[in-house]
Formats: sequence, structure tokens, C-alpha cells
Amino acid sequence: MRGSFLRKLPALLLALVLALLISTTAFAQDEKVLVIGHAESTDSLDPARGYTQTTGIVLKATYQTLVTFPAADASSIEPELAESWTVSEDGLTYTFMLSADAAFADGHPVTADDVVFSINRLKAIKGNPAFLADGIASVSAVDASTVAITLTAASPSFLSLLPNSAFSVVDSEAVKANGGTDGEDDAAEAYLNGTSAGSGAYILESWEPQVETVLVRNAAYKGAAPHFDRIIIQNIPEPATQKTALEAGDIGLALDLTSDQISALKGNADIAIASGPANIIHFLLMNRDESIGGPVSNPQVAQAIRYALDYEGYKALWGGVAPGTNLAVGLAGAFGEDKAIQRDLDKAKALLAEAGYPDGFEITLDYPDFSFQGVNMNTNAQKIQADLAEVGIVVTLNPGDLGTALDGYRNGTQGFAYWFWGPDKLDPEDFLAFLPGGKVASDRTKWLAEGADQSLLDLIAQAKGELDPAKRIDLYGQLQVIAQESGAFAPFNQPDIQTAFAATLKGYVWHPQWLLDLALLSE
Amino acid sequence: MPFYLYFLRRLLFVIPTLIGITAAAFFIANAIPSDPINTNLPQSALNNPEMIAAFRERWGLDKPPVERYFTYLSNLVQGDLGTSIKTHKPVADDIRRFLPATAELATYGTLFGIAIGVGFGIISAVWRNSFPDYLVRILSLIGVSFPVFLLALLALQVFYVNLGITAGPGRLGVKLDDPPAVTGWFTVDALLAGQFSVLGDALSHIILPSIILGLYSSGIIARITRSSLLEVLGADYIRTARAKGLSERLVVGRHALRNALIPVVTVIGLSYGNLLSGAVLTESIFAWPGIGRYMFRASTSQDFPAIMGVSILIAAIYVGVNFIVDILYYFLDPRIRLA
Repeated sequence: MRGSFLRKLPALLLALVLALLISTTAFAQDEKVLVIGHAESTDSLDPARGYTQTTGIVLKATYQTLVTFPAADASSIEPELAESWTVSEDGLTYTFMLSADAAFADGHPVTADDVVFSINRLKAIKGNPAFLADGIASVSAVDASTVAITLTAASPSFLSLLPNSAFSVVDSEAVKANGGTDGEDDAAEAYLNGTSAGSGAYILESWEPQVETVLVRNAAYKGAAPHFDRIIIQNIPEPATQKTALEAGDIGLALDLTSDQISALKGNADIAIASGPANIIHFLLMNRDESIGGPVSNPQVAQAIRYALDYEGYKALWGGVAPGTNLAVGLAGAFGEDKAIQRDLDKAKALLAEAGYPDGFEITLDYPDFSFQGVNMNTNAQKIQADLAEVGIVVTLNPGDLGTALDGYRNGTQGFAYWFWGPDKLDPEDFLAFLPGGKVASDRTKWLAEGADQSLLDLIAQAKGELDPAKRIDLYGQLQVIAQESGAFAPFNQPDIQTAFAATLKGYVWHPQWLLDLALLSE
Repeated sequence: MPFYLYFLRRLLFVIPTLIGITAAAFFIANAIPSDPINTNLPQSALNNPEMIAAFRERWGLDKPPVERYFTYLSNLVQGDLGTSIKTHKPVADDIRRFLPATAELATYGTLFGIAIGVGFGIISAVWRNSFPDYLVRILSLIGVSFPVFLLALLALQVFYVNLGITAGPGRLGVKLDDPPAVTGWFTVDALLAGQFSVLGDALSHIILPSIILGLYSSGIIARITRSSLLEVLGADYIRTARAKGLSERLVVGRHALRNALIPVVTVIGLSYGNLLSGAVLTESIFAWPGIGRYMFRASTSQDFPAIMGVSILIAAIYVGVNFIVDILYYFLDPRIRLA
């Protein structure tokens, strides 16, 4: 037996080599194809059920929403399926006028009924993204191209929720024909996992879970035609493998590389790297309760610390921007670097002297021993220690396990701590978490509404209720000035997020909502 | 003992083992001090009692564990493994999708492992305490102890990126269509369909991960083969065989090896079972859509139906492989036949 196998071995090897030769010549295709390597997280491609990063990327390409954000940030609300909208005086009813152009992949127009069906379905299925529709009391079709959404309470940030893929408008006829309803008995998930029923630039051709997601160009798409005829998102769970596939030229874009893998690719002429600020802000928290925060509970000390930090130094480490406040750069009205605090050691020392600490003081810094999106918090903590030593503040570092440190952070028992924050919603309203009455300020920093300046509380209430976009921006501007002068936080860096791709690929833009708009890619 | 009696006795052990496994998997999975809502619902939905209630009701988590266990068992008897929380698909369908990929990889890996392991083991035993023996022993030690993760990445870097002689991650190039499904093994299905380009591509994808897996098992197989063969080579009947003037090749190949293989078959069985139950690291690095990664995802998201389904599957694989090993003993070892 063994002998005969060995005798046949050369023939088998020859067959193998021949087969390999044939295989390399088999796929010559005319269509423009892009292969993306990505650790797939898709739970569902049904807009009413899926709520993961990969789902967001695919739904952004295959569906449209009533309104959207600009290509690179969330600084304003722009029309998509709705060409215009009005808000009732009480702020409760939003009326959207649909664009006459919008059409589904089979050519028939997107109507108000499709919008009503999509939103009611999202609410009825109670899937993972349904919480986004919590504030919606009802939705109705005024006529074939007008939709009215009524809220349970006025919410100026409502429009910023609508670009979420959960609000993708589905072709109600197609979904109903495949078991879809806007009640609890909906059975269209399998259909929507197999094909898309939307009006986006691409159509979902197939999704083989944990293997690949294939998108093809939607010929009926009314917007600018995308460059690639076919985009294949290949599931490559391990970032190190994505790196090898990118180097070998099998994928054109690797979405999940770590920062050291990206550094290793620098200098490779075939590979380009895009970096731009993500929306995570790294900041110091200074507890206002004197029994917890000690010297840093004094607002003047907090101000001194803001002047003592070496903002350019953190940028040199991680790129990104020095944010003006805890309102992330990229959101509407956020203070950018032009309005950010500049390092001024003399001013910091003067403020410390005024607060009664001319020789500085000793304090412990709590933070998690953790790296997030490539940023090592230990490195930053050491730099904070060095920065503050220059004004006489002696910092003892107290790194903790993430889970344990989180407990202290959430319970508000940390006096002086280093944390990071990503916005819960892409709207300036997110910033209210860092002002009295907000989650981080009140619960975690004891900067409470009780005892806070009444004019500040009035301004917060006004910002919460203001419906006029321009006036809102102005109010959030005033709030940011107050935070810079007397806030309990010292935001010091909004690091870059980096992505590597083939040098021939163009149009890559990271987005805080949908991460990546496939329709913008070209070569 | 006649074969049918031996067969039945072995088979009877299988049933309580499987029931025991369902109970153990179920209650261990439930004893984890963490609520599945935390890993399966978005943060912002955790403030919404209505959504939490809907989630618990949908997955039956609102009922006491004992009641859920018996519901599970009665469904299981009818062949229903439930629906995965993570993939929203019947667990049985998921397993049908992911198992063939793992089985194909494990089989190729084990074949490599046997070829290298048994071969090296024989060399090592026959040339005991000489240079080839030392070399094989060092190599097999490396095979067992070198991190699979590192080895796999090194192999990808060298053979895929630098030399370009094998394919990269996945089972098949993304621009090729899967061969018509018969066995779920791409190499076999492509051959059956006469799609030689697909066969070539599938082979060039499977070769690296299966060698990596094979190297790992070959280390153990070589060591067991060596020690077992050495023991047999010292036996009286081998001295007799040599004394009769048989060639060394016949002595080792026909007389010694057959008896030496009994413990080796056990180890091969265990290692095959191990690979069949999914090699998470190898599957992750090679983007191999197999059962190991499915189980990993299920465990990290407390996807009870999927955890249970895969646990039962793995138990069944081990029981099945051991059952086959027991049957092989019957043919390899005449004492069992005579007992």
C-alpha cells in the first residue's frame, strides 16, 4: 500500500501543479472589483435588526436615509431622500418632502409609504437598533411624497439620529412580498440578508456569513455613479492576516490594522495610509467634591492644569487634534484647535498661586491600564506626570484593571483620573454630558446641578430646547467657553484613526457614523 | 468476544455521555455571572426595559433554567438545536455551514500529521540515539511547543507574501464561485464537478493551514511512535524475527510497526478529534470559516443555543472518534478479539 502510494506521488504532485497553473489564469474579468479585508461583525443586514460596524458599512452602501451627514464628519444635516423638511413650532412634528428623483433598484420611486413602513417596522420588531426610534410617537404619510414624524417630546438632536442605518428606507412592496410586516410577526430578515431592498449606490448580491459580502453597482442609482462595479468585503478576522493580504495585493483596503502594523507598512510604496482624527477624546477628570478631588476640586486648579498640559506633545505621539473642549471636533459647533487652550506655564503657575498652591501639591492619577484604538494610556499618563511636574504638581500614577477602574469612574469615586470618551450621539447635545446635570459631570465628577451657577443652568436648558440650528450652535459655543474657563475636565487629545490601503485606491474617508462610504472609493 | 457484541457495548456508552454533556454545557453556560443582554444588546438599549423584556422573551431567557433545559432536550430529540442569538439562524444550519470547512482542514491536517509524525517516529526509533534521532526529537519538540499563532503568521509572510507560491486567507479566492455543494469540502466538490481551476485554488488555500495543523499533531505522533516502536523493538519476538534472518525492513515494517501503532492510533484519534472541534487560532489567522471561530464567537457573546449546539457536536465528535478508535483496536489487537 505505502509503496504504491509513493509511486503515485509524483503524478499527483504534477496534477496539483497543473491545476494551480490553470487556476491562476482562470479569472480575467473586465469589471472593476475592489476587495476589502475586514473582521466581519455583521449580525444582520436587515436595517431593523442589524446594529454592528459591518452592518453600518453595508447598509450605507445599499440604502438611503431621509437626511444624512457630510462625507467626512457630522458637522451638519444634509438632504438625502428628503430634499427639504420643516419643524413645527413646538418642535414635535418634523415634515419631510421627498425628492422626486429617489428610486429603488428596480426603478420605482421611493414614496412616503415606504418611509412610514420602514420606521414602523423598526419600532415593531424591537431589534437591537430599535432604541433609536424611542422618541418617535408616530409617523404618517401626508401625501405620496410627504412624511410627518411626531415625537413624544421636542428633541433638537432628533435629525442627527436619522442618518443611522437603522432608519434606512426599505422598498415596502418588496419586503411585504417576502414576509415583511410592520408588526411583530415580521419574517423578512432572511430575505434582507440575501439581497437589499433599498435605493443606495450598491445592491447586496450575497452575504455568506463569516466568509464574504458581495455588493454590485445599482444601475438605477440617482446619485453620482460609484467607480467600482463590484465590492467584495472578505472576512479576515485577524488584523495580522489582513496586513499580509494587503501586502500580497489580494485586498485593496484593510479596515482593522493596529497602529504598529500600520507603522510597519510605512515606507512600502505600494501601500498608502490615511489618517484623520476619530471622535474619541482623551481627557482628565477633576472631581468637584473636595473630599474626593482634594486640590483639583478647586476650579482655579483645574484651569491651571488645562494651561499646564503640552497639547502639541500628545499630537506628536498620536496625531489628531487638540480639541477645544469635550465636544468632539467634527460635530456641529465644536471648538477646533483655533479655539483650543494653548500651553502657558506662567499662567498655570499664577493660577496655582492664586488658588493657594504656589509650590504645587501631590496627587494620584487613576486610569485604566489599557490601549484604545492604538493609543496606549500608560504612555499618556507618564506624559501627564511629566507635564504637571513642570508646574510643581507631583503626580503618582495609579493604573488599574479596566473593569475595576471603570467601576470607580462610573461611581464617581475617582478624584483625579484619565479617561476617554466617544460620543453617544453625533450632535452637540452629546457635550451636555460634561456639564452640570450631565452623566459624566454629575455622576462621575460631582459637578452637580445643585450649587451650579444659575446662568449656566439656564444656558444648558436653553441649548437643550433650541430648535434653530444657528442659535443652537451659538448656545453651544457659549457653553464651551464656560467649560474652558471653569469646567471640571481637561481634554487634551483627539487622536487619529489610521487605515491602510493599496496606493492606487482613492477616495477613502473615515466617517464617525458609517465608518466608510463605499460609493466614494475609486482608483 | 464477537464483533457485534463489542460494537454494541461500545455504542451503549455513547448515550449517557452525550446526555451528560448537554447538562454540563447548559448549566456551566448559565452559571457565568454575566447577563447575555450585556453582550447582545447595544449599550443605549440597556436603558430600555421594553427592549430588554423583548430580548429575554424572544430567547426564552425569562424562564427558569431547569425548565429551559428540559425544553431544550425535548427539542433536541426532535433534531431542533434552536436558533443562534448572534447569527439569527438555526444552529443546525450554522453547523452544517461551518463544519465541512473544519472537517476538510482537520482531515488534511491529520493526514500531514500522520505522514510526517509516523515517518519521523520510525526514523527516530530505528536510528535511536544517533543524529537523525536527535534531529527528529528536537523538531518534534519545536512542533509541539512553537506557538501556532506565530508559525502561521510566519508561514503566511514567507509562502504567501514573499514567495507567492500559496494563496492567502480564506477557503477560495473571492473572485471564484464555490463548487456545487455535495460534501461541503471544496477540494472534493470541485473534483466531482470537474472544476480543476477551483480545485487548484482550493488546494493552494488549504495547504498552509493544514501543514500548520499537521505539524502540531506530527510532533506528538512522532514522539509516541518513537517510544512505542522502541518498546516493541526490544521485545522477544522481534529478536526471534531478526534471528530468523529477516531483513530489517521486514522486521520493522511488518512485525514491529503493527503492534507499535496501537497507542499511535489513540493519539491520532484524539488529535483528529481536537482538530475537528475547531482550531480557533489557525481558523482565525487563515480566515477559515469553521466551527472553531463559530464557537469562539458564540462563547464571547453568550449565545446559549450556539454554545449548546457546538458543545454537543464536539462531544459527539470525540465520542465518535473514540468509538472508531475502539473499533480499530479490535482489528489491531487480537487480544481484544479473544477476550
